[in-house]
Amino acid sequence: MRGPQDYGGLPAGPVDPVKHEHVPTHWEKTVDALMMLIFDQRRQLARVDESRRMQEALGEDYHKFPYYERWLQAVSWLMLEKSVFTQEELDAKQAEVRARLEAERDG
Amino acid sequence: MSNHHDHDHGPTHTHDGKPIQEDELPSIEAQILETSVRELLIEKGVVSGEDIRRAIEAMDTRGESLGAKIVVRAWTDPEYKDRLLNSSDDAIREFGINMSPMELCVVENTDEVHNMVVCTLCSCYPRPILGIPPAWYKRRDYRARAVREPRAVLQEFGTELPDGKQVRVHDSNADLRYLVLPERPAGTEDWTADQLEALVTRDSMIGVSDVRRPGEADA
Amino acid sequence: MDNKYSPGDKVRILQRNQPGHVRTPIYVRGKTGVIERIVGSFPNPELLAYGNSGLPYKMLYRVNFKQSELWPDYDGPSSDTLEIEIYEHWMAPA
Repeated sequence: MRGPQDYGGLPAGPVDPVKHEHVPTHWEKTVDALMMLIFDQRRQLARVDESRRMQEALGEDYHKFPYYERWLQAVSWLMLEKSVFTQEELDAKQAEVRARLEAERDG
Repeated sequence: MSNHHDHDHGPTHTHDGKPIQEDELPSIEAQILETSVRELLIEKGVVSGEDIRRAIEAMDTRGESLGAKIVVRAWTDPEYKDRLLNSSDDAIREFGINMSPMELCVVENTDEVHNMVVCTLCSCYPRPILGIPPAWYKRRDYRARAVREPRAVLQEFGTELPDGKQVRVHDSNADLRYLVLPERPAGTEDWTADQLEALVTRDSMIGVSDVRRPGEADA
Repeated sequence: MDNKYSPGDKVRILQRNQPGHVRTPIYVRGKTGVIERIVGSFPNPELLAYGNSGLPYKMLYRVNFKQSELWPDYDGPSSDTLEIEIYEHWMAPA
């Protein structure tokens, strides 16, 4: 059983060191920071191996998700698993944020 | 930044034919999820906006210039080089870097050996030194092929090695993080530390390229 | 914690199917390599991944493989090698 993350030796395309270069965006750095903060000495809310388990749980979606969207999904699932917030709280917050972002976009 | 789609070149597709989309702007759904998770964590008192800002600032201080200082110190101070290779975590503490809970492993390029680092299972990288890994390092292309055809991958970076030089690939899969100590280019014996630091690239510390003097041709 | 293997020992990586989070990639399973160094004892990532403390700790080694052992069709020089970290419970004497 090969997990979706286990890429070593599989067929793949050329590496393009020019096109596959990318300066991290502020959004990506924010997701990175959230992950680092839940791991840090003060909080210790999760371990890196737990984050990897969550990303591997994406299954086929692992290949489709951009890197930091995988991280974001892992942070969200870990915080739910550890009852830092509940699914109900997350659903309510997402509805509120969706309305806010749509209003900003249309405004 | 434009909504850049990376789909029009090369077979960078997953085995089920879907394009790999690594460098795009986040989808609206991802923006909503990120904002929601961040705001909930702040409301719950888990993190503050200030914590997030400081974490991003700390990340921005990492990068090739920090790695270059370590490399040049090793090039110019044999005693330090010995420590860097044999007590790596202690040696980098002088630069204010703490790898814990990981450990640093420094691998030295020589006339006879070229080292190259990959993480096939995720994206393990010496982040306290070099910061966020490059996009290619996290992609399937590099992760899949660096272990199986390292010389072909090196060529894609413009790095041609003679057959007589051994290629040693390090799959960074567990508790060590790897930094390549590149070879000091010939003809730089009387250069200052500042001049040398300017030569040391991120890619040379991952081992996909060598350090070259300006104008020096490919090996 | 004692190390069962020492640098220079030949080891075979176990060809084992195991569900859950593991750090032994498929491409080294069933392959034979040589212990390059003892890294030390570390919490078991297979347990850490589930929020467990990772006890008991596992001894970790760097194992060196000839590329031609990993990939029968490897077309580079026979001196090319690959090194990877493997926990003791994933190997047997070869």
